Amino acid sequence: MSMASITAVSAAQIDTARAAHPGAFDTVGGQIRRWFPWGLAIVYVIGSLWYFDVGRLLDASDRVLALLRNFVVWQDMETWQYANIYRGIAQTLAMAFLGTLLGTIGALLVGFLAAKNVMPIALVRQIVRRILDVLRGIDQLVWGLVFVRAVGLGPLAGVLAIFVSDLGTLSKLYSEAIENIDRKQVEGIRATGAGPLGIIRYGYIPQVLPVFISQSLYFWESNTRSATILGIVGAGGIGMILIERFRASLYDQVAFVVLNVLVLIFAIDWLSKRIRLWAVGEKHDG
Amino acid sequence: MSDISLTGGAVGASGGPPRDAVSTFEAHRAELRATRRVWNIIILAAFTICLGLSIWISQFYPDRLANGVPRIFEYFATIIPDLQWDLLFEGRDEAGRAVAGSLTYWYTDFWTYVALIWETILMAITATLLGTAVAFVLSFPAANNLAPNSWVYWLSRRFLEICRGIPEILLALVFVFAIGIGPLAGVMAIAIHSAGALGKLFAEVNENASSRPVDGITAVGGTWPEKMLYGVVPQVAPNFFSYAMLRFEINVRASSIIGFVGAGGIGQELNRVISFYSDDRVLAVLALVVLTVTVIDLISERIRHRFIGRENF
Repeated sequence: MSMASITAVSAAQIDTARAAHPGAFDTVGGQIRRWFPWGLAIVYVIGSLWYFDVGRLLDASDRVLALLRNFVVWQDMETWQYANIYRGIAQTLAMAFLGTLLGTIGALLVGFLAAKNVMPIALVRQIVRRILDVLRGIDQLVWGLVFVRAVGLGPLAGVLAIFVSDLGTLSKLYSEAIENIDRKQVEGIRATGAGPLGIIRYGYIPQVLPVFISQSLYFWESNTRSATILGIVGAGGIGMILIERFRASLYDQVAFVVLNVLVLIFAIDWLSKRIRLWAVGEKHDG
Repeated sequence: MSDISLTGGAVGASGGPPRDAVSTFEAHRAELRATRRVWNIIILAAFTICLGLSIWISQFYPDRLANGVPRIFEYFATIIPDLQWDLLFEGRDEAGRAVAGSLTYWYTDFWTYVALIWETILMAITATLLGTAVAFVLSFPAANNLAPNSWVYWLSRRFLEICRGIPEILLALVFVFAIGIGPLAGVMAIAIHSAGALGKLFAEVNENASSRPVDGITAVGGTWPEKMLYGVVPQVAPNFFSYAMLRFEINVRASSIIGFVGAGGIGQELNRVISFYSDDRVLAVLALVVLTVTVIDLISERIRHRFIGRENF
């Protein structure tokens, strides 16, 4: 292929082609229509940043520098009360564990109430589902704040917050898993003359248990992550230590705690993936 | 299990227990059950130890729970608004004071809440746009089939990991300290976190994109940015859009609570009413937040479905 064949296309030929196939050529209107959303987005971002006083970012440089220096330069490391920090981390793990466990137990009961094929009464099902929607709609951190207000500062509030928000989400996932099971096994158990509990135990549970375990382990992992920040509203765990030391301007210790939290999260990710792989033989990584 | 024989009769005849198919099966089953039982006991023991440790560390004792649970119900009783049917739609009286028991009384600060929710939504939109822009740019070097060289790949991957590894609210805390109380801190925090989370998803989409259009652009002498723009972007744009919309839904939730540390939005008001008042204001704000989040989710779902439908994706 030589260049000649390309240069041989004359302006007149292009015009003919344009007249014959107008849709194949770009128009000014098309250009505007294509770029308009991008222009709008850019104008919006600039406008909203201006509205949010983006200029303050520029004034902050010396404070940011001081903060960063404090993050990196660690002083008086022997006075950091490590026992306190690690107790906080243990508390975070304990909160996530207990919260997920309670949420799982609760969801085991509520999940069946919200599943169409187990709960024949539509009214009960709908009420249960709407309550679950509300539990899920309110953020875990808000639940944390509410429970701190109700039962006081400390891990109890955190456990309850995790429990309530997990109950909302896990029950929904469980009820979906229950609805998607194979009917034949249930009918087989029913044919042997089993009572309702027997049907659930031998007809439903064996089919849904792997899904349940996998979901709960996944939630345990994600709760460990969110339990680290529940303490920011006073609901116990490492977050509480983090915010105490942040308020006291001990930024080097904050940096140390954050590093610990990140290591913890990575470790939990790895462990949870391992357990899931082993417990339910999941091949893909969740 | 190498000595299992299904030709039972002959072995049985040579002494020892009879080894027909049934008893072999039973023996095998008993063996499996025994292994299983050992594992079950180990798991149960590990679980009990974890449970015991957790209860001890978080002091989740029955008596504390028994003390706490009634207080929860007491608290929820105090935040229920005292509405009366006959007065429900009463307006303000001549003195401009709302009648107790009416909706106007319950939502005295309604317009403050609306303004804050508006701010919350704006924060979420801005943060999503900023985060998406950063994620978009970084998703190409962070995809292992597209990265121009390995250190750019490594660098952008680690950067995205750090961005999404730190919880938003911690970032917001730092930003509030650095640039002061206000929505800008929240926007920055959410934008950074979204950039990290979206960047990973975008990079995964890029890794699944077909290499043929890219090869085509390479063949006509396109540079790396051109290869990305004309070879990859048209393939991945619908997925990117859908992920960005999902992220927007998440960000609305995030920006409604990020005010807890002073980073703007309705969260600040939510924190204030929950921490300092124990009355129907709590439920008023909470109900508005839940309503907003639900409505935004519905709208965003509509848009996503329509967009994906149009792209025949």
